Amino acid sequence: MGIQSIAHACSHLQNATRARLGLTSLPSNKYNLNLALALHRAGLVGSVTRGGPQPPPMEALSSLEAGGATEPVTTANVATRRLWLGLKYWDNEPVIRNVKVVSKPSRLVTAALPALERVSRGLPADHLKGLNLGETMFLATDRGVLEIREALVKKVGGLVLCRVS
Amino acid sequence: MSVPRPLARSLFSRRLVALSTPPAQPCHHHSFHTSPPLAVRRRPRFKNIRAADMGLVTEEKVEQFAQQNFPRFTPEEVAELGKRFSPEQITALEAGEASIDPKDLTVQGRLRVDPYILPYIEDFADIQPIIDKRPKNKAPPDPTARFMDLDEFTADLVEWADKFKTGDPTGTMKRLADFVPEKWRHADEKNWPAGVRDKAKKDFLRYVETESSNTSSGVLTDADVLGYILERSSMTDKNRQSNSLLAPALPNKVPGVAGLYKNAIDPADEGLDDSGIYQDLKKRTGMTVRQILSLRVKVIVRRYVVNQTRLGKVRSASIMAFAGNENGWLGIGMAKSTEGPLAMEKAKLLAIADMKPIPRYENRTVYGNIEGKVGATVVQLFPRPPGFGLRVPFRIFELCRAAGIRDLAAKMPRARSPMNSVKALHQALMNQKDPEKIAEGRGRKLVDVRKVYYGGAVY
Repeated sequence: MGIQSIAHACSHLQNATRARLGLTSLPSNKYNLNLALALHRAGLVGSVTRGGPQPPPMEALSSLEAGGATEPVTTANVATRRLWLGLKYWDNEPVIRNVKVVSKPSRLVTAALPALERVSRGLPADHLKGLNLGETMFLATDRGVLEIREALVKKVGGLVLCRVS
Repeated sequence: MSVPRPLARSLFSRRLVALSTPPAQPCHHHSFHTSPPLAVRRRPRFKNIRAADMGLVTEEKVEQFAQQNFPRFTPEEVAELGKRFSPEQITALEAGEASIDPKDLTVQGRLRVDPYILPYIEDFADIQPIIDKRPKNKAPPDPTARFMDLDEFTADLVEWADKFKTGDPTGTMKRLADFVPEKWRHADEKNWPAGVRDKAKKDFLRYVETESSNTSSGVLTDADVLGYILERSSMTDKNRQSNSLLAPALPNKVPGVAGLYKNAIDPADEGLDDSGIYQDLKKRTGMTVRQILSLRVKVIVRRYVVNQTRLGKVRSASIMAFAGNENGWLGIGMAKSTEGPLAMEKAKLLAIADMKPIPRYENRTVYGNIEGKVGATVVQLFPRPPGFGLRVPFRIFELCRAAGIRDLAAKMPRARSPMNSVKALHQALMNQKDPEKIAEGRGRKLVDVRKVYYGGAVY
């Protein structure tokens, strides 16, 4: 279910940012949370906040937890928790324009370090196209969800989740 | 026979019944006209009150208004008038006052209150033969009149000037040769002896001065000259006057003038634009004609289309042209005309006017893989290293050369329609991503590693 929720999150993010939304939400699970935090580290989303069905207050957007404004997580309400992502726009254009899922539940795509080195330089490797200008790739590794350049620094390969540009 | 009888009986009986009942209301079931019935007609929101109901037109009110606005002369005013007018004039004034009933003025008069009101009451409805000028009914303007040519104008001017009888009639003024002795009169001026020439010149000068002083004391005044300028017709209508205040319009076709008008030619063009086709472009782009002519401008797509009408086939040309300065500026123009050369010229001018800067990586290739799509035509462009050259289809080659792109690969994976491929290429070049903008948007530093090693000396 993890990869499927990543695929759903990718489609939703692309739709939301093309619809010029300021704040959007994903189901709160550990896959989405890790991807959202990696997107945040890459500067692709403005904020990641855990909250309920209603959007968190503006002052809570700068922190991971929505603070005292939301109810505590219990077994009764855990299914309704959401991750609220602040979307970014610059120069009248969305910062995220394309989000494309690479691994699907029916076909997981992994990339080892040599392939990642080529892909990051814009060259094709192992059925992966090279990265274009401004494009980045997220991988699920045993060191967490990492952007491709973080993975190269840590010299780890892993499961290719999505490409974002 | 049996059929009409019950009918007649029933009609008769019904008539009797109808007479016994009150008259029926008019039937509204059938409407025979489109205006709404009286009941639903829109009424004003506020009820109007007639002046009579307000008591404004009663005898006393009219009397009161007349007294207030048209009072009789007071004894003091009569005494004051007596100082300024003779008794006969006073009598005439009083008779005039008495002839107008103030009540008539109140009821029928329209009194002006605007700032341009005249100091006396007059509605100018009638022409009074003693006071007013008789209006002249003039003939309509001459439809065949045209502007005078040079000879006609000169003759007209001479005719006007001859009205002022000062000095000798035109053409009888003495010349310099009239002041030399008979012996030298027919010789050339250069051959006259010096003494004779000086004396003749002195005499001629004196004669001209006398003549001009005669003219200045004569009848011709500045007002005459102004009248000549303003009122004299410059057309061959024998100065015919018209009732219209407007100047006569130019005729539809002015024969003999077509093609003689020329645009003022700018000396800054260095004679490069005598036909004036680049004058508008100069203003719009701020380039000089020499700069415009140095651009790479070329027709890239020609289409000849035919419109089949009931009168026959109408052929026209649809032309697409591009313009570039080979240094990062590119424009595309498209024009259609039934005349091929005209469409080409229009397309080229539009292309020059359309020129915009396109982003270029290192002034030689494009930023990243880019794609443009128009209709079914997709153009994919790929940046390539220095020295790679333009390995692209020929239309893309032409445009890239004009734009100053030197290293590029391209693919057109789908349709390769000529016009759409040019449009798609232009779209792709104009929609390149700017790495600076991406870095600012993400808030992260973005480095071009090509410029990092070897001190940036990568060429």
